[in-house]
Amino acid sequence: MQFHGLFNSRLWSLFVKEFHQIRRNRRLVILLIIPPTLNIILFGLALNPTFENLQLGIVDYSRTLESRELISAFGEGLVFQTHAYYASTEEMGAAISRGELDAGLVVPNDFADKRARHETVDVQLLVDAVNANTATISGGYAARIIASFNQKIAQTERRRTQTVDPVTGAVSLVTNPAARAMVTPRLTLLYNPGLKSSWFITTGMIGLLLVLQGSVVSSASLVREKEIGTVEQLLMTPAGNSEIIIAKVAPIFLLLAFDIGLALIVARTVFGVPLRGSFILFFLAASLCVLCGIGLGMMIATFTRTQQQAQLMGFFTNPPLALLSGATTPIEAMPAWLQPITAINPVKHFAIISRGILLKGTGIKVLYPELLALAAIAFVMVSVSAWQFRKQLK
Amino acid sequence: MGLMGPMKRILAQVKKELTQLWRDRLTLALAMVLPVLLLLLLSKATSLSVKDIPVVVQDLDKTPMSRLYQEAVGASLSFKLTALPPNVAPEQALLKNQARSALIIPPGFERDLRRGQNTEVQWLIDGTDANTANVMRGKAAAITQNFTIQIQPVAMQPAVRPQIRYWFNPGREDLKYFGPGVLAFGMAMFPPLLAALALSREGELKTILQVYVSSITAFEYLLGKIIAYTIVAWGEWICGMLVLFLVFGLRLAGDPTPLIVATFFYLLCNTCFGAMLGAAIPNQAAAIQATQLGGFLASFLLSGYIFPVENIPMPLRLLSNIVPMRYYLEVIRDAFLRGGGWAGVWNAPIALALLGGFFFWRAWAVMKDMQVKA
Repeated sequence: MQFHGLFNSRLWSLFVKEFHQIRRNRRLVILLIIPPTLNIILFGLALNPTFENLQLGIVDYSRTLESRELISAFGEGLVFQTHAYYASTEEMGAAISRGELDAGLVVPNDFADKRARHETVDVQLLVDAVNANTATISGGYAARIIASFNQKIAQTERRRTQTVDPVTGAVSLVTNPAARAMVTPRLTLLYNPGLKSSWFITTGMIGLLLVLQGSVVSSASLVREKEIGTVEQLLMTPAGNSEIIIAKVAPIFLLLAFDIGLALIVARTVFGVPLRGSFILFFLAASLCVLCGIGLGMMIATFTRTQQQAQLMGFFTNPPLALLSGATTPIEAMPAWLQPITAINPVKHFAIISRGILLKGTGIKVLYPELLALAAIAFVMVSVSAWQFRKQLK
Repeated sequence: MGLMGPMKRILAQVKKELTQLWRDRLTLALAMVLPVLLLLLLSKATSLSVKDIPVVVQDLDKTPMSRLYQEAVGASLSFKLTALPPNVAPEQALLKNQARSALIIPPGFERDLRRGQNTEVQWLIDGTDANTANVMRGKAAAITQNFTIQIQPVAMQPAVRPQIRYWFNPGREDLKYFGPGVLAFGMAMFPPLLAALALSREGELKTILQVYVSSITAFEYLLGKIIAYTIVAWGEWICGMLVLFLVFGLRLAGDPTPLIVATFFYLLCNTCFGAMLGAAIPNQAAAIQATQLGGFLASFLLSGYIFPVENIPMPLRLLSNIVPMRYYLEVIRDAFLRGGGWAGVWNAPIALALLGGFFFWRAWAVMKDMQVKA
């Protein structure tokens, strides 16, 4: 019992020493506040898939009232902005090649004639598909604009075909009744009805930030001891290896717990990201994420001898950590062979958890597989790297 | 004859840098291997076009007509349908991430259509991933429209039919867009890193003092370093292009001269950027961090790498004008996809040259300043 108390107090004093050391390190404290705030705001603002003002070029061979009606239908929404009119398709094609236009509309010269004969007219839409995603979305918008244009025409025509029977005086419809039947999709957007991309990006970014911060701070603090050679001094003390490691990691963990709250507050106040589920569950998952980051940082520290090397390692680990996580682009869009690899990325699991808790309001019943995965990654990383580091201390 | 002296000193500096790097095999290997690895790993990973989106279907009608609609949805390669029993709430599938969308066909779907009444099908779409949700919304609307046309008698064809041609990238492959993008990204990260390290190392180890007392001027010293690391950057770029050509099978679409000229200025500009940071920060760890912030973060967010620059909200968009990768992306994507030649991208090399010149001037000014102080 006495031994136990002694053990506790030694660990405690080491912990206090580390805590003060970190607290006095002004740069580290700034590092804990500024980058997370800035990152969440920047990522939420800059990665924006909302498409407005797509530049539209127009070639109107018909030059009639009817063709102008169609062209004005394109100008009504916020999506397309008429950039210029061109005399020929070739001229407009050249403008698309120069990257001035996102799309071009070609109205044929028999547009009005065919409309008068109630025949279907084909209009050409040339889309610059250099960016596949923008092309898909602008093609989709154009199809919807033409569909609602058709609907309007169908309605006015229906009114016209209403005829009065000369004998009975009854109003009847000439068109085949079956022809009027339409299937309309009722599209309901759940969880993020305004389709705010910032909600998607920031909920993914929080996990990435926690892992990156954890790895940077822990690798820096461990490697510094190695670099300056103060590890030897620590080894001289009666403290055991595991005590040294725990005392090193615990204050970092506490400081980063502060970052969890900070990230959530920034996401809420700047982008209005809701918190629909349990905060405690969110905090628990985020703490596991921080542990994964600390584990990664310790791992890096075992492989490197100087802070410079540690940072270089970060240069290589960070991009895959960010891009293979589903935090910014959907995982389903990655090739099939790459998707299983994302399972070892803690950011991926936390992105699912944070989107579940914050946006969908789901609880532990649904999210437990992701939580378990996160806990397993944290456990493996921390224990393997602690074991490695301890070996190196000897 | 007066030019010979400086030329000789600059060349000697270039030679010294390259020899030093050649002896440091580990750094050399990392410099050549890391960009290639990044390219192999990431060019296929960044993609926005989701295929086979899981959709659960609750068919409350169970008629030939409702099955026809489901077939129409399944036939488009975008959606993969799974049936959901009628007693399960469809939202559950979305909450559990089993599906991105739920389709509910109401009872009386066929009956209403046969009677000539309009009918609705319900699509519940998970809006969490805003971009994918937007794409799903467009596809669901288009499929339903085609279905309506398909079941109409021939006489009731639509007034206007769009014929959409996707130019330059008819298959709308993301690889052609993001592959060259990753190469540009790698060139925004590694060449500045090497240059920054080379300069801040001399500051940290104080070997810079030897340079100050030698006959070489700050200008010559800086230029020598920059030329050496631009040569290394060309090596990295050629490795990257080989990966794009041989591994991913991409080909240039047209005139390659804009790409080569822009690459020349881009690599020079990035090396100057690294040199500027390295000259200002005589601490290797801090210099790496600064490069990471300026090279990695600014290029990732503000260059149009994932979403177009035009989508960035206004005051922030102005910042993208000083990110070199923004200009280079236009050129390299044009070279691989559009092949539009000089007409669309003539301004990019000029912007890159101006930015590079500015970075060089700053680095030079900082060096001269320090020399005076030392």
